[in-house]
Amino acid sequence: MTAPAGSARLRRLRKAYFGSPLSALMTLLSAAILGFILWKLLDWGLIHATFDASGTQETCAAKGGACWSVIATRWRVILFGIYPYEEQWRPALACLVVAGVIVLSCLPRMWSFGKLALTWTIGTIVFYTLMRGGILGLASVNEQQWGGLPLTLFVFVATGIIGMPLAIGLALLRRSDYPVIARVSGWIIDTIRSLPLLSILFTCAIVLPFMLPGFLIGEKLYRVVFGAALFFAAYQAEIIRGGFQGIPKGQEEAAKALGLSYWQRMGRIVLPQAFRLALPATINQFVIAFMETSLIVVVGFMELLAAGNTAFKTGEWKFAYAEVYVFIAAIYFAFVFGLSRYGAYLEARMNVGHRKD
Amino acid sequence: MKKTMQLTLAAATVALSAGLAHAENGDTLKAVQARGTLNCPGDIGSYLGFAEVDDKGVWKGLDIELCHAMAAAIFGDPAKSNIVPIDWAQRWPALQSGDIDIVIKASGGTRSRDTELGLQFSNSYYLGTTKVMAHKELNLASLKDADGGSICVPASTSTERQVASYLEAKGIKMEIVAIEKNEEVEAAYFSGRCDTYAQWGPVLAIAASQSDDPTAHVLLPDVLALEPEVMIVRQGDDNWVDVANWTLSALLFAEQEGITSANVDEIKANPPSAEIGKFLGATPGVGANLGLSDDWGYNVIKKVGNFSEIFERSLGQGSPYKMPREMTALWKDGGVLFPLVFD
Repeated sequence: MTAPAGSARLRRLRKAYFGSPLSALMTLLSAAILGFILWKLLDWGLIHATFDASGTQETCAAKGGACWSVIATRWRVILFGIYPYEEQWRPALACLVVAGVIVLSCLPRMWSFGKLALTWTIGTIVFYTLMRGGILGLASVNEQQWGGLPLTLFVFVATGIIGMPLAIGLALLRRSDYPVIARVSGWIIDTIRSLPLLSILFTCAIVLPFMLPGFLIGEKLYRVVFGAALFFAAYQAEIIRGGFQGIPKGQEEAAKALGLSYWQRMGRIVLPQAFRLALPATINQFVIAFMETSLIVVVGFMELLAAGNTAFKTGEWKFAYAEVYVFIAAIYFAFVFGLSRYGAYLEARMNVGHRKD
Repeated sequence: MKKTMQLTLAAATVALSAGLAHAENGDTLKAVQARGTLNCPGDIGSYLGFAEVDDKGVWKGLDIELCHAMAAAIFGDPAKSNIVPIDWAQRWPALQSGDIDIVIKASGGTRSRDTELGLQFSNSYYLGTTKVMAHKELNLASLKDADGGSICVPASTSTERQVASYLEAKGIKMEIVAIEKNEEVEAAYFSGRCDTYAQWGPVLAIAASQSDDPTAHVLLPDVLALEPEVMIVRQGDDNWVDVANWTLSALLFAEQEGITSANVDEIKANPPSAEIGKFLGATPGVGANLGLSDDWGYNVIKKVGNFSEIFERSLGQGSPYKMPREMTALWKDGGVLFPLVFD
């Protein structure tokens, strides 16, 4: 029966938004403000905007709106930074590979350790070969010339891949029966959490080379990724611990009584449930990690945001910074929104068979 | 936060420089030659006219060209310079740790950098002045006339300090509006939030030339401060300072003698003086003591150009900024730059 249902909904809406004179006034006022902002944005971004690559400061100013010409001419600087121009098909392909691997591992049918490990190993090798080159006839490109979207994705994904197992390890150690192990792991987590990410990145990038023996120093990018992963792991370990605490003790004891080994208990009973309980916070942590990739700019990497800065900071495009920031915000939004929608899907899926409170 | 960060870094740099970051004579050139590339700082983002990125992601600008010139002197090939994206706060740690071989990044020669950070300077390649721009309609003859008005400055920079001390010294009372980001300071000034706008000269000139109506603004005659920009290297490697200094001298000498990338071949084939012949490697003797080949000067001019060519395409008539040379001209054109003598 659609008609009564429809009118019921209408009644509900009317009650919610026009219930009293005050709420009617507030509704109209907010609608007016929203409409005004939307209209201004549309006017700036579409109606009076310049889209073609031949636009300049004068022609854009004449039309009065946004100057998307800056994106049309400088998009390769924004997306790939200072990666050699002729070779930029490689980071483009590398981005697609990473995106493909992420999408693949989000599919439930891929969820076995073997399949995931295989996908990620192949994905990582392909990504690294494409970006770094030096073999298979690809010209070698130094890590310091990586930039833009592939660098941001690389740091994010590598932080996750290294940080997640580290976090699980730290969380398991922290609930160890041996007080020494539990306490040391607790100290490690608390120490890392009490340091700002910036200082960890600085230490990894700039101070470590003075203290490590030469063969351990490695490329700056990998030291920085390691620092970011450590930071991620400390927070994620506490999130997982929160998940552990939500599982009744009886479950593990029952599993023990059935004669399951430690790894069987953890792998089949405790961790899956802990992850389900910790999922919203985990997704949150991943979103934060993605946003925090932009901090690596302070140790000299031209990630997406810095590459965007580079794109408009030139004589011809100095005026068009708002357009570039909007473009970058759209890229970040696409990733983070996708991530949180996926989180919502996972929650819905995992709640099958569970009562919603 | 930026300030704490810089302080921490400065402290770390001082601590580190005490022991480790001392180069022995000749070390840097040998390391660069063995590596096959010269590592110079670029920027994170860009510094208009000095280090910026073109549509193809290739670095350009005055500082970048100087790095090309050094690479041409060392390898005979400017493409062997590797521009490392580096932020302002990281210049010194990156130099000390050997990530870069030389800092050419619009950086002034200061006492603290020389004596506390343990660094060494080349001669100056640019004279940066801090100046003030004003809205033309205000009819200001100098900053003194702006008494009681407002002045926009970039926050927590040396410019902010220079403005404060200049105003104090001259007894001028102004409202100082300090804003963090350069784009925002400019936007504040152009929107009329401030009567005047203090900034490092080149940045100011570029801002004026790129504004909606360049004729609506005037540069006041006040010079708030002068900062000679130099190339900076680690202390202890005299040979490396020499290489930097003589590369700069080569650029200036070529300009003084009218040698350009276009006519250098003719002049080398038929040098008008013994000095020029030696400079271009037509007669030997100019390279060996530096650890370079005898035709290094020729390579610099042939592959990069003389100082005037570099300046014009980075900041001058060949660039969107159209800046005049002013003090950064040669001595014979009313500027203060000069080459050393190629005897």
